[in-house]
Amino acid sequence: MQVERIPSTFADLNVVLKERLGRLGHFTSIDGSQLIALILYPHEGKASLLEIPLEGANSYHSLTPHHAQLHWFERATYDMFGILPEGHPRFKHIYMHDPYEENFFPLRRVHLPENFQSPIKRHFSFLEVKGEGVYELPVGPIHAGIIEPGHFRFSCYGETIVNLEIQLGYVHRGVEKRLTEVALPRMHFIAEAVASDTAAANALAHAEAIESMLEIAVSERSKYLRSMALEIERLAMHIIDVGGIATDIGLLGISSTMGRLRGKALGLGDMLAGSRFLRGFIVPGGVRAAGRSLSNFKSQITILRHELKEPLNMFLDNQMALERMREIGVLKNSLCREFGMVGPAARASGEAYDTRQHFPHGAYPAMAPPVVTAKDGDILAREMVRIKEIWSTLDTLDRLIDNLPEGQTQMEVPDKLPANKIGLGVVEAFRGELVHLVLSGPKGEVLRYAIKHPSFNNWTALAIAIRNNLIADFPLCNKSFSLSYSGNDL
Amino acid sequence: MLDLLSYLIKQGVATSKELCPDLPEGVRGLPKLTEAACKNKDGTDCNLCAEACPTDAITIFKEDERGKVSLDLGSCIGCGMCVEVCPTGTIVNNPSTRTAVKKRQDLVLSNFNLDIPAPIVPSINPLFRRSVAARVVSTGCSACDMELGAAGNPIFDIERFGITVVASPRFADVLVVTGPVSKGMQAALKSCHEAMSAPRSIIALGTCAISGGVHKGGYADACGVENLLPVSVYIPGCPPHPWSIIYGMLLAMESGTLSKLSSKQAKSKANT
Ligand code: SF4
Ligand code: SF4
Repeated sequence: MQVERIPSTFADLNVVLKERLGRLGHFTSIDGSQLIALILYPHEGKASLLEIPLEGANSYHSLTPHHAQLHWFERATYDMFGILPEGHPRFKHIYMHDPYEENFFPLRRVHLPENFQSPIKRHFSFLEVKGEGVYELPVGPIHAGIIEPGHFRFSCYGETIVNLEIQLGYVHRGVEKRLTEVALPRMHFIAEAVASDTAAANALAHAEAIESMLEIAVSERSKYLRSMALEIERLAMHIIDVGGIATDIGLLGISSTMGRLRGKALGLGDMLAGSRFLRGFIVPGGVRAAGRSLSNFKSQITILRHELKEPLNMFLDNQMALERMREIGVLKNSLCREFGMVGPAARASGEAYDTRQHFPHGAYPAMAPPVVTAKDGDILAREMVRIKEIWSTLDTLDRLIDNLPEGQTQMEVPDKLPANKIGLGVVEAFRGELVHLVLSGPKGEVLRYAIKHPSFNNWTALAIAIRNNLIADFPLCNKSFSLSYSGNDL
Repeated sequence: MLDLLSYLIKQGVATSKELCPDLPEGVRGLPKLTEAACKNKDGTDCNLCAEACPTDAITIFKEDERGKVSLDLGSCIGCGMCVEVCPTGTIVNNPSTRTAVKKRQDLVLSNFNLDIPAPIVPSINPLFRRSVAARVVSTGCSACDMELGAAGNPIFDIERFGITVVASPRFADVLVVTGPVSKGMQAALKSCHEAMSAPRSIIALGTCAISGGVHKGGYADACGVENLLPVSVYIPGCPPHPWSIIYGMLLAMESGTLSKLSSKQAKSKANT
C-alpha cells in the first residue's frame, strides 16, 4: 500500500486521535530523532504517516493520558529508541527486562544525551493492590501447558480478580533489528517466523510492503493463492482456538475432534504450499512452489465443512459450555474503542472492523466476506464470532478456488530496495489487523522495519475484561482472546 | 452429553497405525544430500544453494574437484530453496520424519563421507524406556509448540508411547525446549532445569532451539539451548512435523518402539 508521509506536530496527531479521523496503525520512531504515527483510513482504504520531529530532544509529553490506546506503543518506543514519554501513567519496560544493560536501545541511531539516565529500572515492579484480604498471584513466565511464555500478576480478593498486570517480552528476539540487517531475499523468512501461527499473514504483510516500495503488482492468480493461504491459516487457528475453549470447559470429546479437524485444515496448507504452516509460500513477487495439485482442494473443503457441523453444533448446544462462557470476561464496546482493539475480539464487542473490507491485500477487498460481529463482548460472543468466521472462511475458500484465475505466480524481483521509500502491508490475520511498515534510506538500505501484531493492541483487552471475574475463569477468558506472545514480543 | 458420546463412537478410531511414516508426496521436509557430484557441467563451481540458503546452513568446499558440500540441518529451516536451485540433484527433498539425532555433529550432512555409518550412541537413560514425563519450555514463535501439541491429538496420540506432558519441572524427566532461548528466557530456563531432579535430559525441539535458526546472531543472544545447557536429543525442522517430534522423543527414551520402527524400515528397504 502507498503511504503519504506528512511532516506533523503533536497537535496534529492529537486532533486525528481525538476526532477519530483515522485508526492508529502504529506509533514508533525511525531512528530515535522523531516519532512516527501511522494513521489508517479504513473508509478510504488509505494510510498516512505523520512524522513528528523531536528537534534534538529526547522526551515529549506522553499522549497516553488522553489517548489510552498509546500506552503500550509509548512504552515500546522507549524500549527500542530511548525516547521518554514524560508523564506516562504506567511507565515500565515492555520488551527488555533484567538481562539487558541499562541505556541499551537497540534501534536508536542518534546519540543519547550525555549523562542520560533511564528513569526506570530493568527490574520492574507491579501495581500493588492494597487492602485486607487482597493477595497476589504470580503466574509464569513458563506456563503449565505447551504455550508461549509471559508473566501474569493477579491481585485477587478471595476468588475475584481485582487487577491483572501482564508482563511480556520474554520471547523478544530482536526481529525488527534483524530485518534491517539482512538482504532482501532473506527477509521474508524472518518476517514469517515472527509468529509462525501467523506465518501466512506475516509473509503477506511483508510481501505487500516490499511490493509497494518496488512498485510491482503481482498477478491475479498470485493474489487469489495468497488469500487462500491466509484463509487456511484462519481456518486452522479458529478451529484449534474453539478446541482450546472446549478443553478448558472439560468437553474433551469436542476438543480432540477439533484437534483432528485442525489437522485436516493444515492438510489444505500442505496441498497448497507443501507446508502445514504455509511457510515459505507467500514471497515478494508472488507465491512460491505453486502449481501443486489443487484438484482435491474443493472436495476437502466440502468434507471439512460437513465434519465441522456436528461437533460445533454440539458445542453451542451444550448448557455447561454456554454457562461457562456467557457474561464472563465482558469487554465493553466503549473500552474496545478507547484501546483500539482489533480482530475477532473487537468484532465480538460490536466493532465492525475487518481490514479485508478496507485495505487491498491478497484478493481483497473484492473477495472479502461480510464482516461478522456480535455485541455482548463476552467469551460466548468471541466464540460465536470465531465459529461464524469458520463458516465464512470455508465459503471464501470455495469462492477463491472456483474463481482462481490462470496465469503467472512469480515475477522477477530485484534484490535491493529503491531509495527513500515507504512500504506498507495491512493484513487481516486471524487475530486481526497486522501491520508491516518499511522505510528505506538513501542507499536503499532498510532504515526501519516496524511490525504491529494484532495482539499488541489486544493484550490490554484481556487485562480489562478479566477484572471482577473469578480467577477460575481466567484460562477460558485468556483463550477466548487467543493472544500471541511472540508476535507481541518481536 | 450422550449425543457427544454417540458422536465419538460413530467417529471410530482416528489414530494412525503406521508410525513415523514419510511425509506425503509434495510436502516439504528437510533437505538431504545424494551422491551426485556438485559441479556445473563445465566444471566451474556452482554455489547456488549456499547463496540461496537464508540461514547459511550450507558450505561449499570449492577447492575440491568433485564439489564438496556440507549442510547443517541444525541451522536449516527446511525452506526448500536449496532443493529448488540445485541443478545437479545433489540436494533433494527428504520426506523422512526420522531425522532427530543424539549428537550435534550427526546433523551436519556432507556428500563426501556418505558411507560412514551414523555412530551408535549409548542409551541416555534406560529408566525412561517405557514412559517419560516431559516439561515443555517455549521460547519461540509458537509453531514448534503447536506441532508438539498436535502430536498429542488423536491422529498421532503421543501418549500411547508413554510420553506425557507435565505441568511442573519437579516431576519431569525430560525438558523439551522450543525456540532460540533469547536473553529474556535464559534465567527462567535455567531455574526450570535446576528444579528438575536427576536423572534428567534435555531435548532441543526445532531449529531455533538447536542453533537459533533465523534469529541467530542478534543482540538478543538467540542462539539455542546448547549455549546454556547440555542437549541429549536434537529434533531439526522449522517446525518439525509431529511425527519427527515423536521420533525424537522415542530416541530420548531409547524406547523399544524405536527398534520396531527401524526393523520395519529395514524390511521395507529390503523389499524395494
Ligand atoms: S532447506 Fe535448509 S539448507 Fe536448504 S536453503 Fe533452506 S534453510 Fe538452507
Ligand atoms: S524452529 Fe521455526 S517453528 Fe520452531 S520456534 Fe523457531 S522459527 Fe518457530
